[in-house]
Amino acid sequence: MDKIVLHHLLLVYVLLVLTGCTSVQPWERGNLAKPHMALDPYPLQSGLSQHNYGSREAASAANNSQGGGCGCN
Amino acid sequence: MAVIKTPEKPKAPSRGKSNLQALTAAALILPGLMQAPAYAADEDEVDFQYSHYQEGYRNIYTNVNPTGTFTSSKTPNYLNPIEVDGLHGSSRVHLTDRVKFAFNYTQDTWAGATPIASAPVVSNAASPVSNPVTNAITGASPLLRNTNSNPFYIDKQNNIHSQNYHYDPNTGSSTFTPGAIVNQVTNVLVGASPETRKQSDFKLDYDWDNASVNGGGGYSVENDYDSRFGNLGLRLDFNQKRTSLNAGVSYTNSYTHATLDPFAVTYMAGGPYSFNGSTVNGNTTTRNFYSPQTEGTYHQVTTSLPNRGMIGAQTTTLTGTRQDVAGNLGLTQILTQNAVMDVGTSFTHSTGYLSNPYKAVYVFHANPGQDPSQPLMYSGAGQWEARPHERNQVNGNLGYHYYIEPLNAALHTRYTGAHDDWGINSHTFEADWAQPVGAGWTITPKVRYYSQSAADFYAPYFTTTMSGYDASGNVIYSKALPDYYSSDQRLAGFGALSGGVIVAKQFAKGISLQAGFEYYTHQSALKLGGGSGSEQAFNNFDYWTANAALKINLGALRFNGGSNDSSSTAHHHASHAITPAGIMFDHALDNAGDMMAGYRYMRNEQSGSMLSGTSTASNDTAIAQGCADQTCMMLPSTMTMNMHMLELMVAATDRVTLMLMPQWTDMDMKMNQSEMKRSTTGMGLDMPVMNQQSGGIGDTGLYALIKLFEQHGHQLTLSLGGTAPTGNVSLMQKKNTSNAAIIPLDYSMQLGSGTWDLKPSLTYSGAMEAIIWGAQATGTKRLDKHNESGYALGDIFQSSIWGGYQWNNWLSANVRGIYTWQDSIHGVLKPVVMTDGSTIPYNQFGNYRMPSQFTSNYGGQFVDVGLGINVTVPTGTFAGNTLKFEWLQPVHTDYNGYQLERSGALTATWGVGF
Repeated sequence: MDKIVLHHLLLVYVLLVLTGCTSVQPWERGNLAKPHMALDPYPLQSGLSQHNYGSREAASAANNSQGGGCGCN
Repeated sequence: MAVIKTPEKPKAPSRGKSNLQALTAAALILPGLMQAPAYAADEDEVDFQYSHYQEGYRNIYTNVNPTGTFTSSKTPNYLNPIEVDGLHGSSRVHLTDRVKFAFNYTQDTWAGATPIASAPVVSNAASPVSNPVTNAITGASPLLRNTNSNPFYIDKQNNIHSQNYHYDPNTGSSTFTPGAIVNQVTNVLVGASPETRKQSDFKLDYDWDNASVNGGGGYSVENDYDSRFGNLGLRLDFNQKRTSLNAGVSYTNSYTHATLDPFAVTYMAGGPYSFNGSTVNGNTTTRNFYSPQTEGTYHQVTTSLPNRGMIGAQTTTLTGTRQDVAGNLGLTQILTQNAVMDVGTSFTHSTGYLSNPYKAVYVFHANPGQDPSQPLMYSGAGQWEARPHERNQVNGNLGYHYYIEPLNAALHTRYTGAHDDWGINSHTFEADWAQPVGAGWTITPKVRYYSQSAADFYAPYFTTTMSGYDASGNVIYSKALPDYYSSDQRLAGFGALSGGVIVAKQFAKGISLQAGFEYYTHQSALKLGGGSGSEQAFNNFDYWTANAALKINLGALRFNGGSNDSSSTAHHHASHAITPAGIMFDHALDNAGDMMAGYRYMRNEQSGSMLSGTSTASNDTAIAQGCADQTCMMLPSTMTMNMHMLELMVAATDRVTLMLMPQWTDMDMKMNQSEMKRSTTGMGLDMPVMNQQSGGIGDTGLYALIKLFEQHGHQLTLSLGGTAPTGNVSLMQKKNTSNAAIIPLDYSMQLGSGTWDLKPSLTYSGAMEAIIWGAQATGTKRLDKHNESGYALGDIFQSSIWGGYQWNNWLSANVRGIYTWQDSIHGVLKPVVMTDGSTIPYNQFGNYRMPSQFTSNYGGQFVDVGLGINVTVPTGTFAGNTLKFEWLQPVHTDYNGYQLERSGALTATWGVGF
């Protein structure tokens, strides 16, 4: 996959996300309030995964301003 | 302890209350009342999580020469790869309606072999191990092997050639020429014995109706690395909370103080950066290192030889500091009734010592005077890596969260892109699908793809070419070593694919269980656009990780069986006399179906002098007599054990309660080296082991608590059960070079008993007005003659008697006397198998010999006095929370053999009653 294709895919993704912006009234947000619709429904799990990625990848570590130790090994 | 009462059968008067509860519950999920647009109701909660990380074996290739032609082959690697056991506990509680406090504690213990560098196979940095009998290659020694490599050739097409050797019998001369092409590169590993990291952090939130601010901080500490961090954040809601803006800043200050691997140090030809003079202060030599391009000292290497009697081996320590400043900005937007988007960006600026003190590179030099038209001959050695002292990283992310109404499912997708000035660009795509399937179960499969390009200064190994010498005899390079260099595969170009599933079950009463599993594969060929493909495939590895979590929702607990039932709760608690924190198995639950969850922490310390029997032994005596008929080479100086236990109870009947007790143990022992040992090893040689650490899952308890008698403030409880051998009893010390033996950690450092243990106990407790008292007898009987490692810990008998006073409705104190007897160890740890197949008893390795390796130096008779204090919060947000503390002070010790003085033990328990 070359860069241009990647950028196009991203653009399509952004457009998909932005279309359908409608005015959602407070009483219409029942679905969004469900626990599995939280931005991160499983923070314990994702914290653990991020820690593992961070210790094995170059980019993920810097995203973590929550400590996390050396991860030297 | 969190006592969860079974909801009572519906009675007429409580109907109205249930309806009210239902209404309130409905109101809570009414959209307009939500605190933030897309956040689920955040209630007071306590979580526990255990996780295990298991890496696959790293790829090792060796040089084989079966037919006179060199070739490479993948070789069995017998060194256990990295393994991590993690424990996490957290609590989030509202201090007031608007103030929320979160606290997290994490600890992980890792051990195993990991790459230190990589090198062409023909350099023989990692060599084959042969069976001395059959002469067949039985495995690789992937560890550091040669200070100087075998010579090899690189031709114009960058092919690597092995070296052919010709001996001319007529002239008696030897000639070397390029041989077969062997381009394979291999990992070179180092071993690591267990080490533990601990982290505590907190966050305080203040909420307004349309905004919140938060601040937090924390501290992470391990043997060689400390990190302190703080952060500030802000959230603003606009547009009837359709839009939320988040912003935050954080600062991290980290201090590396790594004791350079004593084995590896002697295998390294040089350190990173320019040497800039040294200072000598007593026995300590400090060498300063400067970056070649920037001003300032970035790290120091200190060699010290403290001269304090017993204490001290020469150690080489690398110290350096780094600082990270980060800022982030994010936007959350409700798009439709079923869709939410979040977009964000962050920037991180890092300065200081950013290298990894345990990573090295191989640098191979081509000497001057070679014919430049022919393949050049190279040879070289390892040296510590050097990374730039600054890094700026920016990343952006976009998430889209969609509710799929017909399926009641939630789809989460996210893209993250990152760029930094080290030349690393990365892309991450993630998706998960949260699918409730009824009865409180939710199944969430997830998938992730990650790709990064290599850092500018990454290479699997480095080469330099010397073209000649200048007038003053210095080497002139036609290709010099760059300023910065690293072979850490985390800086290589690669792709990674991972997938997993999270299964969650929500029980009534606010208890939720989660289990997660994930598999991850790192492959150079998975990089976006292909890229580094086959020549870096040696870097490929995989891991899996699994975890289990327990979440206790305090709000829901109160809601279901708590606050409206407070009169019977008070009665419930009054019926059980408070017992000291160190007493377990003291009472069964009241009614069939009742549940209870609690947390218990125990810490045990030993330090000071060596004791023999009841009296102090001098170091000389302990060295001479503590190791049977041998001389000890080391004595312990401190020994610390921490245990974390979870107590999960359910009443099977009104009389019998079942209890499951998983536990986690970590230990740390520091040793001093004897004078004699120092003089035999000489001044220059670093000691291999002056510290042992271990940690992980301990033995798991299963008990039945039986109410024998309960009346008028008197209570008699019998506990039958014991522990299953889930704790590891075959932990090993580290092995770093191909000539070191792998020897076990001491008996006292293993995580469990390794045997099925029977642990009966009988507890009597009483209360009259404000006076509380009780007594307990408990024992441990090992049911197996020996465990898988060849030994069995001694049986234990313990009896306690206590009395206390309840000062008021929230505070009580107690005094306890404890007598303990423990037998010495039976059997011995299995002998160590050497690479040639011979065996040597575990305690006969001269460098390591110490009293705790001898089974007769275990057990004894002990008397302790316990002082305890217990606090129960009577009213308010934390009503029903109980905290108990007890300190055990040794008053009499009669050891078997030679052991380290006891300092005392602390027990703390937390619980909340409903």
